[in-house]
Amino acid sequence: MSSYVMGVLAGIAAVFVVAAIVKFRRRNSPMSVAEKAEYLSKRRARMLPALAVIFLSQQATFFSQMTGGEHVSAEKAKISAWLVLSVVLLFGLATKGFWLEPKEVRDLVDDENTRANRNEAMRWGFLFAMGSAIAVYVLTMFEAVTGREAVHIVLSFGIAAALLRWAILERRAHRDA
Amino acid sequence: MPERLANRLKERRAELGLTQAELAERVGVTRKTVNTVENGVFTPSATLAIKLAEALQLSVEQLFWIER
Repeated sequence: MSSYVMGVLAGIAAVFVVAAIVKFRRRNSPMSVAEKAEYLSKRRARMLPALAVIFLSQQATFFSQMTGGEHVSAEKAKISAWLVLSVVLLFGLATKGFWLEPKEVRDLVDDENTRANRNEAMRWGFLFAMGSAIAVYVLTMFEAVTGREAVHIVLSFGIAAALLRWAILERRAHRDA
Repeated sequence: MPERLANRLKERRAELGLTQAELAERVGVTRKTVNTVENGVFTPSATLAIKLAEALQLSVEQLFWIER
C-alpha cells in the first residue's frame, strides 16, 4: 500500500478516535441543550489555538525536504495525515461543527455571535490565503516552487489564519462573560 | 466620533431578576451572545434585537439606541 494512502487512513482513524473519546467522556453527563451548547462553545474557544499550533507544527514535516529530494515513506504518510486534518479543519470552519451532537445543540452552539465570528475568521482566512498566493508568485520569480509546495503554503496560511482569528474572537467573547 | 449601538440590557435584565443564561435560553442563543450584546462588543441582528426586547418586555427603541 502506498505511504500516502496509509497516511490518509491514519488521519481518518485519528479523527474517529478523537470523536469516540469525546463522545465517551460525555456519555453520563446530564446537561440541558443550553448547558451543553455553552460547554461546547467554551471548549471550542480553548481548542482552537491548540489546533492551529498542531496544524502549523505539521508544516515542518513537509518542508524538511524542500531541497527537492524525495520524501521518505514516513513523511509521505504524515503529509497525507496533514491533508486529512486540513479537510476536517476546513469543514469545521465552513459548517457548524460538532457533527456528532444533536441538531438542537449544533444550532444553538452556532448562534448569531458565533456565525459572525466564524464569518470574520473565514474572511481572514481568505485574505491570508490570497496574500500567501501572491507571496508564492513573487517567490517563483527567484526560486523554483513546485505546484504542490505552492498549494501547501496557501492552504496552510489560509486555514491557520482563520483558526487563529476565530480563536481570538471566541475567547474575547467568553472573557467578557 | 463613531456611532455605536448602546443598550440597557443589563439594567433591564437585573430589574426582571434574570441571569444572562436565563435570558439567552428565552431568546434561543448562548450566554456568550447575550454577554457580547450587553457589552457592546457585538451588534445584534434586527431579529435578535426584537427577540431580546420581547423577552425583556420593552420596545426595541427602549432597549437599544444609537450613541453619537
